[in-house]
Order: sequence, then structure tokens, then C-alpha cells
Amino acid sequence: MTVAVEAIGLVKVFGEVIALDGLSFQIKKGEIFGLIGPNGAGKTTALRIASTLLLPTSGTIKVFGHNVADEASEVRTLITYLPEEAGAYKNLSGSEYLLFMTKFTAENKEAVKEAVEVAAKISGLQERLKDKVKTYSKGMKRRLLVARALASKPKLAVLDEPTSGLDVLHSVHVRRIIKQYVEEQEVTVLLSSHNMLEVEHLCDKVALMNKGKIVAEGSPAELKTKYDSPNLEEVFAKVVGFA
Amino acid sequence: MLKGLFNIVVKEIKELVRDPKILLGMMIVPLIIFPLMGFAIQTSMEAAEESMGSISIAVMDFDEDSITENLTNFLTALNVGIVEIDDLDLNKAVNYVEQSNLTGLVVIPPNFSNNISEGLKAELDVYTIFRGGGIAESTSSSAISALLKEFEENLIVQKIGAKFPEEDPKNILDPIDVSERSIIRGKGVDIHPSVLFGLMMAQSTGMPVGIMVLLIFAMQLAATSVASEKEEKTLETLLTVPVNRFTILVGKLTGSIVVAVVGAVAYIIGFSYYMSSFSGFMPTETSVDLAAVGLAPTPISYLLLGASLFMSLVSALALAISISIFAEDVRSAQALVGPLSILFVFPLLFTMFTDIYALPFPLMIVLFAIPFTHPMLAARVAFTGDYQTAILGIVYVFVFTIAVLYISARLFGTEKILTAKLKFKRFRLRKSK
Repeated sequence: MTVAVEAIGLVKVFGEVIALDGLSFQIKKGEIFGLIGPNGAGKTTALRIASTLLLPTSGTIKVFGHNVADEASEVRTLITYLPEEAGAYKNLSGSEYLLFMTKFTAENKEAVKEAVEVAAKISGLQERLKDKVKTYSKGMKRRLLVARALASKPKLAVLDEPTSGLDVLHSVHVRRIIKQYVEEQEVTVLLSSHNMLEVEHLCDKVALMNKGKIVAEGSPAELKTKYDSPNLEEVFAKVVGFA
Repeated sequence: MLKGLFNIVVKEIKELVRDPKILLGMMIVPLIIFPLMGFAIQTSMEAAEESMGSISIAVMDFDEDSITENLTNFLTALNVGIVEIDDLDLNKAVNYVEQSNLTGLVVIPPNFSNNISEGLKAELDVYTIFRGGGIAESTSSSAISALLKEFEENLIVQKIGAKFPEEDPKNILDPIDVSERSIIRGKGVDIHPSVLFGLMMAQSTGMPVGIMVLLIFAMQLAATSVASEKEEKTLETLLTVPVNRFTILVGKLTGSIVVAVVGAVAYIIGFSYYMSSFSGFMPTETSVDLAAVGLAPTPISYLLLGASLFMSLVSALALAISISIFAEDVRSAQALVGPLSILFVFPLLFTMFTDIYALPFPLMIVLFAIPFTHPMLAARVAFTGDYQTAILGIVYVFVFTIAVLYISARLFGTEKILTAKLKFKRFRLRKSK
């Protein structure tokens, strides 16, 4: 099976802080891969490197065979990135925002139109898309951003805490969108979360991170069996030694 | 290379123009506040002019002689309303003047005419009623003084005429008729130098101030444009789309330039209206055919000014963007960019008040090194005819701009744009317990 993402020995140092300490993982095409761990584990740094925003101090990461450090432009044509707490341009309407973003990835006017329609459908915002983003609730904004990230049919969607700050209903809606869209479009997803239950529900494979390292890796079912735990929270507690 | 530029420019313009703070500060305020100020000034000027045409004064005449009569006749002939007060109590007279809405009170003491006839110093007391200030009131007050001065001059002319009947008293008072002309670029022209200096001053204050306002507007816009992307958490998403980072930079520059130019036009329209409110009250002495004497702006001087201004604008924006990259939010970006205004104020003051070549050499070098000095010098090309300095200035600003753009592009292309976090926290006073 095609390898979508391959990270080997990623290290990232900010001043005296070691954010990533030899991170290695592999994601297969069409897989939803979750990096889970507490705040400060290095999840966002790993995602930012995969999205071409940061350069690794050492180690390599390839997206569909393209080295992120050397071929950033090629990588950007394959990915979409949804940062944690990302915003949208507050003085644009929802539909103007979708139009602006899809124009970068769509090849022609027809493709732009199609992507905007898909994004509108995914977001479920309907008539509210005509309103300015600054009038949206946090949940509506997040749905708009998730829709933007998926509608352009990326080969790899990098989603940092996709349900961050959302209430239960909005979280369920966003998770459902991701799951459904990935199945339909065969998109590969690399996501991060500190919500273990969310990851258990969404991901085909997870990597438990702590202090910049992967401390356990496998499918949620495999990890639960291996560590004889009812859920991933218990697995994580056992792995990092709190239980 | 610049694929996606138009998309970014359109987005930038929409974002900036729809921002209420920018819309209000850059367009609505100049287009409304300046005309309103102009209207207020025009109205008060008209009121002042009207009040000058209808001056009425009270006169207490303790002299009742020939020159006093001449004085009242003189004032009456000039449409000044005269109210004669017979009461001899000054306090009562003052109260009456105050209540009767008269402009002032002239008290002519005994022997006024006699003293003048005898060649002695005569005295005259003038009381102006102060009701609360204002242009109209001060104008009326000075009008009384001017009228009395004119009467006094008439008396002098009469006295000289009586003493020297063979001569024209005006020639005795003003024996030399100085006729002043100017030399422009080695050619004598029949224009008084003060007229040229007046025009030069108007040119060297109005235009550089306009340039400075435009550049400061544009810099604040560009800084806001980058910092708001960080503050609103949109920058990370934008940096991962398949578009060249340089394109994003140029898109931001272009969007800021377009909005700044529109803002500057709004400012100029508003300011012109404001200035036009004074024009009706200004002397029309400056109606000189500038083209005939080679001082009218030529297409080349316009071209040089435009090129110099454009290059400076781009370099100011690139500078603002380079600096705002290090700010974490809009407030910090504006705080960082704000002190750069010294780079506009410094050349503005020197180009307004001095000849740059007359300055000490090190200071002259410093001024020439500041790129924003050059558009201000280019604005004077029509007067100075110094095309060479203007062209060299454009070349210098071009090189400076390329250097700043290169640095901006480098910074924009690195992770510094995300990792640099300079934040100005609001200063808090701590209460001591």
C-alpha cells in the first residue's frame, strides 16, 4: 500500500526546548492517523513541520515521497492544514472565504465552483454563508474551516485538534464530517488531539506522544488489547506511568 | 511566479476596506470632518466679514471741535454707525454700549482738536467690548483701530501738505519706490520675490505633508495587514496554501497601496475643501502665469514625483511588513511601526524650512540616506529644476526598496514569521498597599 507520510527521526529544538525528540511514524494512504498526547507533547510542532510551516532541526518527513524541507511547494499542492484555534477573515462572508481559499487549489473556474459547493454542503451553514465571519459562533467558524480543509480534495489533510473548543453537538458534527468525507474521497488524515475518546472514534491508527517522543503506536483496538485497558485514556496513563 | 496574486489583492482590499476602524479613520473622517471644519471656519469668516461691514460705535465727545467733527464725518462716510452719547458718566456709557450691542466706545477728551492743531500729542480713548472672543469680535475690534489709523494718516498728509504746499505729501512719507523682481534660473521675471516665496512655501508645505500622511497611512495598513493575520490566526492557513510566499507579500503590499491611495485621495479631497474655505479670504496676488516663467509642473516633473512617490510607498510598506513580522498582534505591530514616522517627520521639517544643501555635510548625508526625503525633494522639482537629484533619488529609493523587499521576502519565507513573538503588554499601574 502507498505510504502517504513518512517521518524519520524528527527533532525540533526551539532555543533550549526540545519540542520533538526523534519522532518517527508512517501513515498509509487513506488512513486516519492520530497523534495523541497531553499539552506540550509536541503534536502541533509535528503537524506544523508536516505542513511546511516549520523546518525540522534534524530528521526528515516526506509527504507522498516529497521531502517537506526541500520540496515545500510540491507538498503544499497535496495538503490542507487546519491549525488549532484557526480563524477566518472576519470581514469576509463565509462564502467569500471559501471562494478565496479554494481559488488557490482548484484548477479552473468549474473546479472552484464545485469546491465551494462541496464546502458549503460540508459546513452545513446554508444561508449563514452569506453573513460575515465575524458574526459566526465558534462552532460555526470551526465547521467552515473544516469544510475548507476537506473540500479542496487534498491528498493529505492535516488537522490540529479539529474539535478544539467545540461543544458536544458541534464536535459530533465535525467528527462525522471528517469520517464521512475521508471514506468518500480517500483522503489521508493526520490529526492531533488530546481527546482520547475522539481519537478512538475517528482514527485507524494512533501514536501516543509524550515529551516529543512516540511512546506507543497501533490501532485503538490493538493498544487497548496490548495494555489491557478499556479505553485509550487508560492506555495512555499506563504507558506514561501515571496509573 | 505570482499565481494567486489577484486573489490575495482582492481579499486584502476587502478586508481593509470593510474594517470599520480603517474605513472610519481613512475615508469617512477626512471626507466628513475636514469639510465640516471648513464649513465652520467659512461660516465664522463670513460672520466676521459681515460684522466688519456693519460696525457701530458710541462716541463721547468732550471736545466738540473741528477735527472731532472731521473724525465722525470720516467714520460715517465709511459706513460706521455712530451713536453719540451725551451723558458724561463713563460707567453709564459703557453699560449702554454693552447692552446696545455696539462694537466699542470712543472717548474724545477736551482739547483733542486743539492739541492736534498746535502740534501737540492728542489722546483718544477706545474701549472695545469683550463679549467672549471669537473671530468676528476680534475682527471688529481691529477694524476700529484700522479706521482710526487711516484717519490719523489723513491728518498727517494734511499737515505735511500745509507745510510743504509744493510737494506731494505721499512722496515725503514714502520717498523711495522699490520695484522688486525675481531671477529664475538665470532669467529675470517681473514677479515680486515674495509671491514666489509664497508659492514655494505653499508647495513645500502642502505636498510634503500630503506625502507624509500617505506614507504613514500605508505603513500602518501594511503592519495591520500582517499582524491581523497573526492575531486572527489566519496566517498559518495562508502560508500552507500552494502559493509562493513572495506572492503573498506582494499581494499584501498591493492591497495596502490601493487602500492607502484611496485613503490619501479622500484625505486630499477633504483637505482641499477645508483649504478652499480660506481661499475667498486670501489675497489674489498670486495669480501669476507660472508656465510662462517655467515654474509650472511639467509632465517630466509629474513623472519624477510619481515615480519617487511610488518607490517610497513600496519601500515604506516593505519596511512596515518586515517589522510587523516580529509582532504578535495588531497593537504591537502599530507600536513597532509608529516610531518609523520619525523617518518622515525629519525630512519633512528640513525640506520645509531649509535648503538641504545649506545644511552641514553629515546632516545632509543623513537626510539623503533616508529614502523618504527623496519624494519630498521631487515635489519641488518644478521650482528647483533639479532633475538630476530627483532621478538619483529614485534610483537610490529603488535600490533601498529592493533590499528591503528582499529582506521581507526572506523573513516571509522562513518560520520566523510564525515563531517571532514580540508583544507589547499594556502598562499596568500597581497599587501599593
